[in-house]
Amino acid sequence: MEKKAARNFFIWGTVICSAVFIWLTIDTHSTIPKRTNTDKLTDEVVMGKRVWHKYNCNDCHTILGIGAYYAPDMTKVYSSRGDTWLKQFLKNPDSPDPHRRKMPNQKLTDDEINKLIAFLKWVDAIDTNQWPPKPITVAKITGAPLEETAQILKGKNVYNQNRCDLCHRIGGQGGVIGPDLSHIGAKRDTSWLAQLIKNPKSINPVTQMPAYPQLSEDEVQALVSFLAGLK
Amino acid sequence: MTYESQKVAIKYFVISAVFFGLQVILGLLLAAKYVWPDPLIGLLPFNTARAIHTNLLVVWLLFGFMGGAYYIVPEESGTELYSTKLANLQFWLLLIGGLVAVIGFLFGWTAGRPLLELPVELKWAIVVIALIFIFNIFMTMIRTKKWTAIQGMLLGGIVMLAVMWLFGIPFFKNLTLDYYYWWWVVHLWVEGAFELIAAAIMAFVLLKLTGVERQVIEKWLYIEVGLVLITGIIGTGHHYYWIGTPEYWLWWGGIFSAMEPLPILFMVFDTLNHVRHRKLEVKNRLALYWAVGCAIFHFIGAGVWGVIHTLPQVNRWTHGTQVTTSHGHMAFFGAYAMLVLTIVYFALPRLKGLEQFNQKKGFWAFWITTTSMMVMGLAFGAAGLIQSYFQRGLGIDFLTVQGFMRPWIIGVFYTGIAFLIGTLVYVLDVIGLATKESS
Ligand code: HEM
Ligand code: HEM
Ligand SMILES: [Fe+2]
Repeated sequence: MEKKAARNFFIWGTVICSAVFIWLTIDTHSTIPKRTNTDKLTDEVVMGKRVWHKYNCNDCHTILGIGAYYAPDMTKVYSSRGDTWLKQFLKNPDSPDPHRRKMPNQKLTDDEINKLIAFLKWVDAIDTNQWPPKPITVAKITGAPLEETAQILKGKNVYNQNRCDLCHRIGGQGGVIGPDLSHIGAKRDTSWLAQLIKNPKSINPVTQMPAYPQLSEDEVQALVSFLAGLK
Repeated sequence: MTYESQKVAIKYFVISAVFFGLQVILGLLLAAKYVWPDPLIGLLPFNTARAIHTNLLVVWLLFGFMGGAYYIVPEESGTELYSTKLANLQFWLLLIGGLVAVIGFLFGWTAGRPLLELPVELKWAIVVIALIFIFNIFMTMIRTKKWTAIQGMLLGGIVMLAVMWLFGIPFFKNLTLDYYYWWWVVHLWVEGAFELIAAAIMAFVLLKLTGVERQVIEKWLYIEVGLVLITGIIGTGHHYYWIGTPEYWLWWGGIFSAMEPLPILFMVFDTLNHVRHRKLEVKNRLALYWAVGCAIFHFIGAGVWGVIHTLPQVNRWTHGTQVTTSHGHMAFFGAYAMLVLTIVYFALPRLKGLEQFNQKKGFWAFWITTTSMMVMGLAFGAAGLIQSYFQRGLGIDFLTVQGFMRPWIIGVFYTGIAFLIGTLVYVLDVIGLATKESS
């Protein structure tokens, strides 16, 4: 090929491909309202996005899989954790485990937290072509009963709100300092569990697990029903 | 060196080297934060340190490219620079801008978008600096009668760089559109504008080092850069699989980006070819090593490491894991860090009028940095495979999997120390050469 032919190849190749790319961009824009639910993109969501930027969350976390890889992805965090958990966590992300990777407390105001959650809720509904993928083998490692009674659901909430998962795992989700609770119901009965939660040292004097005196009797009972169901 | 005004390049090269050193120190800090509990969490949390690490990278590469352009353009155009004053002014503006940015990050002054963390005021300041630079380069070029392809490509790359930057400035309400245009900066820089600049600089260095005919070199320049843009522009689609954009991007992005390694492979062949058919005896063997090494590492880091996760079937599992980090490091280092080091080792001795210079330190830097970056890239990659399998494949909790990856990130940290040593050798060598009395 002569130099002149090479130059024409360069110029025309670039021009044609740029044109195709711009055409695809225009078409993509036309699909955005439906795929990202722009009707639900309220001012509150936008303000939540600004909070997200203000604290530079994206340089530790990915969202839609983009950003830094130091902390978990935020794309589906709303549906996997829910409102209450997120509020609690964003207020105080500190972990009792000194070896666990920490999220620094951003000292967010309640208002900022609400906006952030609105943003995350909107992100959760974006059509991402099924990303993140469903795990190939959703290991059936918990024996949780299929029917969740109100009592069990309440117990699960207590578990989440008090962030037991920082130390314990259920079905592979959670921390590694405490024992795995996936089948705890098969090993322990409800009264043993209730005593452990109220006063762990009465069962094992050298345990690292903190006591939870702040839980009401009601909450302990709910939590215990939830745990006892994991067989 | 033939023109007095080319000398402005020296200070660009020195600051480029110093910022390179700082960038790598911050990189080590990031790796340490992955592995051990973080005592600096209140002062310099991970996100701030990462913003500094990546922005310093971009700034030192820009210093290198700009210094390179100020060296190359007068020689290609056969005239002094249009204005040395402007080149000096532009240097100081960029330096001050860079320092303000880093200090700003430390105090939480950020736009909060990965890699584009610069606050909007500083982003506009960069536009002004870029305009001064382009103006100066352009005015020098039009003084000449012969427009060479090397000049055209260099100018094209710089203009594309500046134009794409504009898409990173606005605030987007919609996260999907935010990332859509974010990639117009990030992807169309590294797989577009930077490639143009790199191809032009490399063509110039090879032309001077090997004495191969300009006709041959420039013909290949057109073909390669043509292929880069043909595959790379639509190839942007490999970032549009999962961000809320339509499914047809899986086809467009997958097919076009899978062809991106082709021109990079051509660059390797044709570099080796030029070296084999050289018409001159190569005195600056060091610059030749960096040039050839750059071509090869560019192909490994960008071509091979890029293509393995570019198809949607793979990217689905590896997207946003340490596989990406592995590729990011190998590609940036191979394609652009080594490019800057090539032009510095080519131009700096000439600028100082040194026919001969002691190349020992430069060779040490070459072998240490290339070897340790290769190992570091593999360690990141191993961590990434573990992460893709356990976290995405089996659905195990994020932090639990981070524990499984820990040995490999420890590996990253220690090879990072080796890399830092190589970098420091380079920094000292550049300072040494730059402050040497001209003979
Ligand atoms: C001692 C050497 C280095 C170490 C230990 C290191 C470590 C790291 C770490 C831990 C991250 C953050 C990954 C995350 O987001 O979670 C990072 C990001 C990054 N580093 Fe380095 N780094 C080093 C040198 C370099 C060099 C020499 C370059 C370029 C030539 C570079 C380019 C980058 C880039 C582009 C990113 C963003 C990556 C991405 O978005 O995937 N680093 N580095
Ligand atoms: C010299 C050229 C290149 C450089 C410097 C480079 C650098 C990078 C960086 C820093 C990222 C991470 C961005 C982020 O999310 O923070 C990235 C992502 C990516 N690169 Fe490259 N790249 C280059 C060429 C290529 C090529 C030629 C291909 C494909 C053939 C490729 C394929 C990809 C893919 C698929 C991703 C997305 C990874 C993910 O989904 O997480 N890259 N590149
Ligand atoms: Fe890309």
